[in-house]
Amino acid sequence: MHAAWTVKHKPHSLSEVIGNSNAIQKLSKWVKSWEKGVPKKRAAFLYGPPGVGKTVSVETMANDSGMELVERNASDYRTADAVERFAGLASQYGTLDGRRRLILLDEMDGITGTADRGGVRAAIEVVKEARCPVVLAANDAYDRKFSTLRKYCLLIEFSKPTVLQIASHLKRICRQEGIEADDNVLKFVAERSGRDVRSAVNDLQALAQGRKRLTHEDVSWLAERDRKEVIFNILRTVFYSGDTWEAKKASDAADVDADMLFEWIYENVPRHFTDPRDLARAMNALSLADIYRGRIRSTQNWSLLKYVFDFMIGGVAVARERSKPGGWVPFKFPGRIMVMGQTKGLRARQSSIGMKIRKRCHISSVRAVKEVIPYLRIIFESNAEMAAGLTSWLDLDEDMLEYLAGGKRQANAIAKRLA
Amino acid sequence: MSFEMWTEKYRPRSLEEIMNQKEIVERLKSFTNARNIPHCIFAGPPGTGKTTAALCLAHDLYGEGWREHLMELNASDERGINVVRETVKTFARTRSIGEIPFKILILDEADNMTSDAQQALRRTMERFTETCRFILICNYSGKIIEPIQSRCAPFRFSYLRREDHDTYLRAIVEKENVELPDTGLNAIFDVCEGDLRKAVNTLQAAASLDREINSETVYSVVGRANPTDVKDMITQAMKGEFIEARKQLRDMIVRSGVAGSDIIKQIHSEIFRSGLPDKWKIRLADAVGEIDFRMVQGANEEVQLSALLARLGEAGLEMKRGS
Repeated sequence: MHAAWTVKHKPHSLSEVIGNSNAIQKLSKWVKSWEKGVPKKRAAFLYGPPGVGKTVSVETMANDSGMELVERNASDYRTADAVERFAGLASQYGTLDGRRRLILLDEMDGITGTADRGGVRAAIEVVKEARCPVVLAANDAYDRKFSTLRKYCLLIEFSKPTVLQIASHLKRICRQEGIEADDNVLKFVAERSGRDVRSAVNDLQALAQGRKRLTHEDVSWLAERDRKEVIFNILRTVFYSGDTWEAKKASDAADVDADMLFEWIYENVPRHFTDPRDLARAMNALSLADIYRGRIRSTQNWSLLKYVFDFMIGGVAVARERSKPGGWVPFKFPGRIMVMGQTKGLRARQSSIGMKIRKRCHISSVRAVKEVIPYLRIIFESNAEMAAGLTSWLDLDEDMLEYLAGGKRQANAIAKRLA
Repeated sequence: MSFEMWTEKYRPRSLEEIMNQKEIVERLKSFTNARNIPHCIFAGPPGTGKTTAALCLAHDLYGEGWREHLMELNASDERGINVVRETVKTFARTRSIGEIPFKILILDEADNMTSDAQQALRRTMERFTETCRFILICNYSGKIIEPIQSRCAPFRFSYLRREDHDTYLRAIVEKENVELPDTGLNAIFDVCEGDLRKAVNTLQAAASLDREINSETVYSVVGRANPTDVKDMITQAMKGEFIEARKQLRDMIVRSGVAGSDIIKQIHSEIFRSGLPDKWKIRLADAVGEIDFRMVQGANEEVQLSALLARLGEAGLEMKRGS
């Protein structure tokens, strides 16, 4: 029912192709030069990463200049035989109806050694004999198999468009589809695609089709999904491979924040190490990792970070001796981070009271929270008179008073004595 | 009626009023008599009078306007190197007006400074010795870098002796018009172990509950200040219910704000109060002590204590198997 947006919104004219203006200019100049006779280089070799517009540039160029495009890609010319048959077309200057011809040999990387024996050699023959422009396209023109072919070609490099260029392309598509989308959202989609226009458009379709609006919430889970997948992979290896080397490799390969990874492992270890002896070993490894985190904090010597990984990855990996994998146990989001989130308001209150105490009591606000507030709460809950005195002595506001008093009623009773 | 925190209200103002740490006080008095002090490190456990001694020293040295010549910084709140670079330096380099040519900078909880900041501090101390003397206060002088230690006169504070503790608290209750029978006094010393700040806070909270402070009042204060069911947590852990035990631990630390050092102290005494075989008490004491030490080294309290809970779970299993 819905066409793929990559096809539906494909550029029709060269001017709609995004990015690579230099490469495109070079290409069209070369094609134009054929009008004055066969140029020195009979073929152009376009190379660059996938989804940057190599094929579409050739297609729109043919369209713009009214040429007939004859296109073959790797799936068509597997062998020398097939390519030679195709060569006949290239040796003619134009078509019967007088239109000139443009030949595109796409996906040249797809010609592989044994299966397509002779494929590249045959392509060379085609180029040598060509009487119309031949364009070749591949990701890597410097592959060894192209070394001879390269000599006959004008090399044109295509590079990735910028995030902004892709985002504005996506915006155009959104406009045509009647979708409202924030620029930031589109930039995010563009970035996540690795600046591959084709996959950015595919992603956009998956996210936005059938919607009127595309907001940040609609796309943010994408990043979350990627990150979680990465972390789950590490956790699986750390918990079940039993191999320090494997586990460390998995965590090295993924660029995950060490503290975040620690929290995930710390949260999930007890759910996967069911034997108490294994669990004690794993938790001890985490305890040691944590000591090195403390040492890094106090010395700021980040080269100690490798020991954190030794223990939290390697140490945990070898802790499993008796625990049997108990079926599928889902990985749980770090509870400590959740609790910290839930208690953020509470802690902010405590620390603001701590700051007040600090002004009066020659003690840090950090320690005041732990060492003075508990006693203040007892006083405020049970003795309104003493609490009133302390409220003005410490210069507490209503909010702080209510927290220490443990409720509105007692807070009011204390406040009455203040007046 | 006006109320303050008793810890401040009854904090000695002058070295003359300090009743404990006799040797230290004598040496400090000789400084004030000479009207000159070196850089100092005051090290010792909490609640033993380190900050008080520093404040008294400044008071006795400068007289009434002493606060103008003094800056108090707390490394737990401002531990970064920038504080040293900016705040400390600005204060240290300007000359003091008055008879005494230097100011005093008290750096409390200095063992919480990063070693970068300590290095920066070391240079500042050297450059501005003429205009500023430093008093570094810490629990463990071992966490102060060697070059700073060697530039300072060291003072080691120890826990209050029982009679000093008693005299101090008795003086307070007399002025505050509350009664403190021996049972209450014993209970306070039992719980606070000579940490005078904690003792005075406990006393004041107890006084807010009742005019007569007996052991019951004290223990109810302690129970409410540390709402920890350490016993239940240990039981869960030894049964192998680690996740439940860790959840209880997390609630204590994050929601109730109980200090990890208090929790481990209670775990320790709970183990010795329990009916476990003596052999196991000793084995577990080793585990508890090790974790206690790791926490002192500056590791995360919850992570360390939960490693201990896991060890308790392992011990529970081993005991069941009779090893």
